[in-house]
Amino acid sequence: MDSLNLLLDGFATALTPVNLLYALMGVTLGTLVGVLPGIGPAMTVALLLPITFNVPPASAFIMFAGIYYGGMYGGSTTSILLNTPGESSSMITALEGNKMARRGRAAQALATAAIGSFVAGTIATALLVVAAPLVVDFAISFGPEDYFALAILAFTAVSSVLSRSVVRGLASLSLGLAIGLVGIDQQTGQARLTLGIPQLLDGIDVVIVAVGLFALGEALYVASRLRHAPPEVMPVGRAWMGRADWARSWRPWLRGTALGFPFGALPGGGAEIPTFLSYAVEKRIAKGPAKEEYGKGAIEGVAGPEAANNASAAGTLVPLLTLGLPTSATAAIMLAAFQQYGLQPGPQLFDHNPALVWGMVASLFIGNTMLLVLNLPLAPLWARVLRVPRPYLYAGIVLFAALGVYALNNSWVDLIVLYLLGLLGFAMRRFGLPVAPAVIGLILGPMAEIQLRRALAIGAGDVTTLVRSPVAVVLLVLAALALLTPLIRKAFKA
Amino acid sequence: MSVPDERNDVTSRGVVPSWRRPELALALIVLGLGVFVIAGTANVAAAASTLGLGPRFFPLLVGAAMIVIGICYVVDVVRGGHGDPEESEDVDARAPADWRGVGLVSVIFLIFAALLDLLGWVIAGALLFFGLALALGARDRLRAAVVAIILAVATYLAFVKGLGVTLPGGLLSGVI
Repeated sequence: MDSLNLLLDGFATALTPVNLLYALMGVTLGTLVGVLPGIGPAMTVALLLPITFNVPPASAFIMFAGIYYGGMYGGSTTSILLNTPGESSSMITALEGNKMARRGRAAQALATAAIGSFVAGTIATALLVVAAPLVVDFAISFGPEDYFALAILAFTAVSSVLSRSVVRGLASLSLGLAIGLVGIDQQTGQARLTLGIPQLLDGIDVVIVAVGLFALGEALYVASRLRHAPPEVMPVGRAWMGRADWARSWRPWLRGTALGFPFGALPGGGAEIPTFLSYAVEKRIAKGPAKEEYGKGAIEGVAGPEAANNASAAGTLVPLLTLGLPTSATAAIMLAAFQQYGLQPGPQLFDHNPALVWGMVASLFIGNTMLLVLNLPLAPLWARVLRVPRPYLYAGIVLFAALGVYALNNSWVDLIVLYLLGLLGFAMRRFGLPVAPAVIGLILGPMAEIQLRRALAIGAGDVTTLVRSPVAVVLLVLAALALLTPLIRKAFKA
Repeated sequence: MSVPDERNDVTSRGVVPSWRRPELALALIVLGLGVFVIAGTANVAAAASTLGLGPRFFPLLVGAAMIVIGICYVVDVVRGGHGDPEESEDVDARAPADWRGVGLVSVIFLIFAALLDLLGWVIAGALLFFGLALALGARDRLRAAVVAIILAVATYLAFVKGLGVTLPGGLLSGVI
């Protein structure tokens, strides 16, 4: 049990008082920002990146782990207590959760979401501990052509799964790839697409793109279509639930976990599909009075999807840590955080920085427990956060966006770039282009380029090098399938 | 995963001919950027010594893919296709676009970007927050001003003194 020992070492790292404090700060900030309406987990991580600029890496990732899980918990509170559609992964929770809140069962809805998230998060993090070393053992033999194929699979999967319209997903992806090209070519030192602006030589920082597309884009979008009636916030006391609710919740938690973890680990899987599937499963197998309750606030419809949501968050970390492959926008921004410290996730990270990786994994367990303690009794406090007046909320988001971006290089040019990307984010929202493919294209694009050039250099320019390894062939076939599936589905429907 | 509902109809209410729909601009931007990526890297000199592919190869791939995707996107928009405007807690997808709000937010942000180095974080940040809050519909000016000043000072102290992040002092250098 090698990984068990490493995990115990990880706990030794994570349980020092300073790192516990960072974990607590992470989960608190993550929940706080995650509760704020309009801010999903990806934006939460992007906005909070600057906080860790001067923190040592191990502590920074412990904090990130907290922010990551905290943002998930916060999102579910919002979708239960606010009767408006939110980000897609918590939209399913809102279906039954909000109905429960309307019937005066907000406390139970929040409790089953929080406890379910804790159960799912703990089980899924344990699965991560088991799965990660296996994937590392497998991936250690990956050549550049395999990594290139993996990136292609991530590109097509995220573009076709996250959008109803494949062409819009691909358009978003290509925008991200193009932005990723800006700056000095890492292998030859040639400047590309910099328009002669010296500040662009280092490329456009991922933080600027993420904050621009998510935060400023959202603020501009909200400015264009502000909901004028103030949203209704359901009243809630301490989150708790009775024996009957426990009896109805534990099976959906486990089923949700089983659905969420594998989907989170797949390229293009994300949280949307497993939460939706979990809801569909719970609704289908419901019997008797519970079946009647669907549409009026069935607790199973909150328990299952919430568990799936958190399990998929842990699942996402498997490809992220072991292969350096982000499968969601949030994971892409976490990857950017690693790169800021000059770390490249992948099999080598487990060899070279075991303390950091396992410290982070251990802190996921710790953070999850903290979140449970934080969320059950403090639900009324988080509910008050929802009442922040919207003009202040969005003004504050832009203020923090500007702070984070300016602090990168102390350059106003970055602020102009931020604004332009904000406009792009606004247009993408308005016309229904998913943002995640752009962020993933931006981060994986340069990696794909390096691996492609490396593979072709090894093969002396022979293109068939790219399909010489069976792993690469399988991945490329899957990539093609991901792209073609929606088209085939459409053809059958027509 | 999108739940289909009547909100989808906002962009396709049929009164605007498809070739004048604003989404066409975005599709053309994708197409144009594809051309730009190829043209913009055409003069990048490839060092003769490099084995394999030079710095132009991957941009060529991306640019070509963008042109193909851009053409498909343009065709899709012209034929009446549309995406679902993103839903969010504070967005009324049915409301007509308020361009005044977008314009105000833009102007305030750009002025902030231009004056930040001169005024410093505390003053420029407070003005940014104050201006945006009013632009987004805050009624109580005094309260907005108080919140703006508290936030600007608090972020400055927390990030500069607490977290060691560099922010410009500007006019207040030495005072705080």
